[in-house]
Amino acid sequence: MDLPTSLLAQPDALLLDLVANSRESAIVALHAQLAKSPAVKDAGQFLHGLLERAMVAPVCIAADVALPHARTEAVDRVVIGVARVAAPGVGFDAEHPAVRLIFMVGTPKQQVEEYLLTVAAITRTVKADGVRAGLLAAKTGAEFTALLARGAKR
Amino acid sequence: MSTTVPATKAELLQRLQRLLRWRLWIREKLQLTEWQVTLLWAALAGFLGAMASMIFSVLAEGVHEFMTGRTGGVVEVMRQLPWWGCLLVPTLGGAAAGLVLLYGSRLTRSQSSTDYMEAIVIGNGRLPVRASLVKSTAALFSIGSGGSIGREGPMVQLSSMVASIVGRYRKFTGPQLRLLVACGASAGIASAYNAPIAGSFFVAEIILGTIAMESLGPLAISAVVATLTIRVLTAAQVLYKVPAFQLNSAWEMGPYVILGLLAGGLAPIFLRSLKQAEEFFIALRIPLVARLALGGLVVGVIAINVPEVAGNGYTVVVDILNGRLIWTVLLGIFACKWLATMSSFGSGAPGGVFTPSLFMGASLGYLFGSGVHAIWPAAAVDPGAFALVGMGAFLSAASRAPVMAVIMLFEMTLSYDIILPLMLCNVISYYTAKGVAGESLYSASLRRKAAAEPVSALPAGRVQDLMKVDPPTLPPAARFTKIASKFLSVRVNNLYVCDADGKFLGAVSLHDIKPYLGNMELAELVIARDIMREDFPRIGPDQSLSDALGRFLGVTAERLPVVAPETGRLLGSLAKGDLLLALVEKRSKPAA
Repeated sequence: MDLPTSLLAQPDALLLDLVANSRESAIVALHAQLAKSPAVKDAGQFLHGLLERAMVAPVCIAADVALPHARTEAVDRVVIGVARVAAPGVGFDAEHPAVRLIFMVGTPKQQVEEYLLTVAAITRTVKADGVRAGLLAAKTGAEFTALLARGAKR
Repeated sequence: MSTTVPATKAELLQRLQRLLRWRLWIREKLQLTEWQVTLLWAALAGFLGAMASMIFSVLAEGVHEFMTGRTGGVVEVMRQLPWWGCLLVPTLGGAAAGLVLLYGSRLTRSQSSTDYMEAIVIGNGRLPVRASLVKSTAALFSIGSGGSIGREGPMVQLSSMVASIVGRYRKFTGPQLRLLVACGASAGIASAYNAPIAGSFFVAEIILGTIAMESLGPLAISAVVATLTIRVLTAAQVLYKVPAFQLNSAWEMGPYVILGLLAGGLAPIFLRSLKQAEEFFIALRIPLVARLALGGLVVGVIAINVPEVAGNGYTVVVDILNGRLIWTVLLGIFACKWLATMSSFGSGAPGGVFTPSLFMGASLGYLFGSGVHAIWPAAAVDPGAFALVGMGAFLSAASRAPVMAVIMLFEMTLSYDIILPLMLCNVISYYTAKGVAGESLYSASLRRKAAAEPVSALPAGRVQDLMKVDPPTLPPAARFTKIASKFLSVRVNNLYVCDADGKFLGAVSLHDIKPYLGNMELAELVIARDIMREDFPRIGPDQSLSDALGRFLGVTAERLPVVAPETGRLLGSLAKGDLLLALVEKRSKPAA
C-alpha cells in the first residue's frame, strides 16, 4: 500500500458531522482535530499556512469537495484530516457554495513529490464511482474510512 | 440521425490537458540541451563562414584580373607580365590597400581591434564590422596584386566577423559569443585549406589553448559544415595533390630528425625577420600609402626575375611537392620569397603568413632532402617527401601547434604514410623552436595586444559577469495549466517563481509536474507556490565562478537563479555551459 492510500485508510483526523458556517470556521475546526497528531509540530503555523493558501487561490476539487492544504515546516510528515460537513454544507467560494467533504493536507516543505502524490490520490479517490455518495451516506467512521481506502486503491 | 452534443467546459479542459501533456512529453523527449543548441549555432557559423570565405576568394580573383588584365594563377600571370607590369601591379595594389586603410580608418576610428584572436582570447567576442570590412577590402588589393602574403588571414577574419554578428544579434553571453567567433575562425581555416580537423585544432590549440570538448565540439561542427559547404559549392578536393608518399627505409628517420632540428631552428629566425621588417618599415616614417606601395614595389622588383615570389606560395609548393623544381632554382626562389614576404608583411599589407610558412617549410625540406640524397641516396630516396614533412615541421615550429600541424598536413595531402616521420619531425621542431625563442607566429601579437590593453573583457571571475538577465518566471498563484504552457513556450527545466516585487521564492521543476499533467482536478487546484521548491539552489551576483561551480555540483539543473543577497530579488540566471566555458577560457588566458 503506497503512502497516500495508507493515509486515506487511516487519516490523522476524522470529523463526520462538522457544523460550520464559513470556510474559515470549517478549516479551523478540522485543523484543531488534526493538530492533535504528533506529526504536527507547530499548530499555529500550520493553520496560518492553510488559511493563507485558501485565500490565495481556490482549494476545491469538485462542487462539494474542498482540499485545503499547506506545504509547511510545521509538520514532520504528510498529515491528512477528513471532515464531512452537515447538510447543506459550507461555502468555500462563490463557485463552491455547499462543500460537504473536506480533505485537509499538510506536507513538509521539501516533499513536493509526496504533496503531488497525496493530492492526486485524493482527487482520484473522490472521482471513483460511488465513493463520494458513499462517503456522504456513511453511518460510522469505520464505514467512512473503509470507503476511502477502497476508493484510494482503485 | 445523429446529434452533435456540445463539449462541456470540463471536457474541453480535459482535452486541453491531454494536449498539453503530449506536447510537453514530445518537447521533453526532443528538447535540445544548451550544448546541442550551441552545436546548431556552430553549424550556422560554419556555413556563413564558408560563404564569407568563398566571396572573399572570388573578389580577390576579380581584383587580380582587374589589376593585371589576365586570368590565371598569380605566379602564372606574373610570368606573362612585362617588367614594368611586374613593378606596377604590386606597387599599385599596395597603394590601393593603403588608401583603403587610410580612408577606412576615418569610418572606424572609434572601433575596437579587428583581430579575431584578440576578440576570442582577451576581448569580448565583438568584432567591429566596418573595421573588419575595411581591413578585408584592403587585403583584397594586397593579395589580388600579388603581394607575398596569404589569403587565409582575411578569410578567417571575415568568417569570425560573421559569427560575431550572429552572436550579437542573438544576444549571446560573453563566453558564448567568444566561442561562436572561435567557430567562425575554425570555419575560415577549414574553408581556406579544405581541412576541417585542422581548422578545429588550429583554433583549439593556438587560440583557445585547450582541446576540452566544451569548445572542441562546436569548433569541429563548424569546421565540418564549412568544409562541406565549400566542397558542395566549389567541388574543392585535396588542396595539395602529391605523389604517394612512402617510407622507403627506417634509415630515413635519421635525416627526418635532423630536418626537425633545422625547421625548429629556422622558424624562429623567419618570424624574427618578419618582425624586424615590420620595425624597419615603421622606422622609415613614411605615410601608410607610401609604405604599402613600397612593400609592393619590392615584391615587384623581385618578381621581374623570380615571379614565383608573388602570391602566397601555393603554386610553388605544389611544384616542389611534385618534384618539378630543381634544388638550385629552388634555393634562389626560397631566398627571394623570404625577402618578398618580409617586404609584404613588414610594410603592413593585410593578409596572413600561414601559407608563406608552408612554402618555407616545403622549400627547406626539399633542399635538405636533395642534399641528403646527393650524399646518401638510401636515406632520402624522394626529396619531395622531405618537402612534405618539412611543411609540417616548419608550421609546427612557427605556430607552436604540433598536433594541428600533423593533422593539417595529413588532411591537405591525404597521405597516411606521412604520419610517422611527420609526427617525429613536428615534435622535434616544436621543442627546438620553443628552446630557441619563446614567441610563436601568433603568441607574440597576442601578448603585445594583451599588454597594450590591460582592461580585459574576460570575465573577472564573478557570477554577474556571466549572468543572463530576464529569465522566465511565474507568479506564485500561477495555475497548473499556465505552468505547463510556460514550460512549452520556453526551453527550461525549471521555472522561477517570483512575487510582485521580483523576490525569488523558489522554482517549479518540470520533472515534478510531468506525471500529473493529465490530472484535470490538479489543474484546477494546484498553483505554483504549492509545488515550487523553496530550497532550490541559488547564487549571488558577487560570488566567484568557482563558488558557482560548487553550487552546480550535485544538482541536475543546467541553470541557477542569481539572487541579490540583500533584497532577495531575482537578477538573472547563470548557465552551467557558460560557466564551464568561462573557466576553460580563464585557464587558457595568455599572460599579459
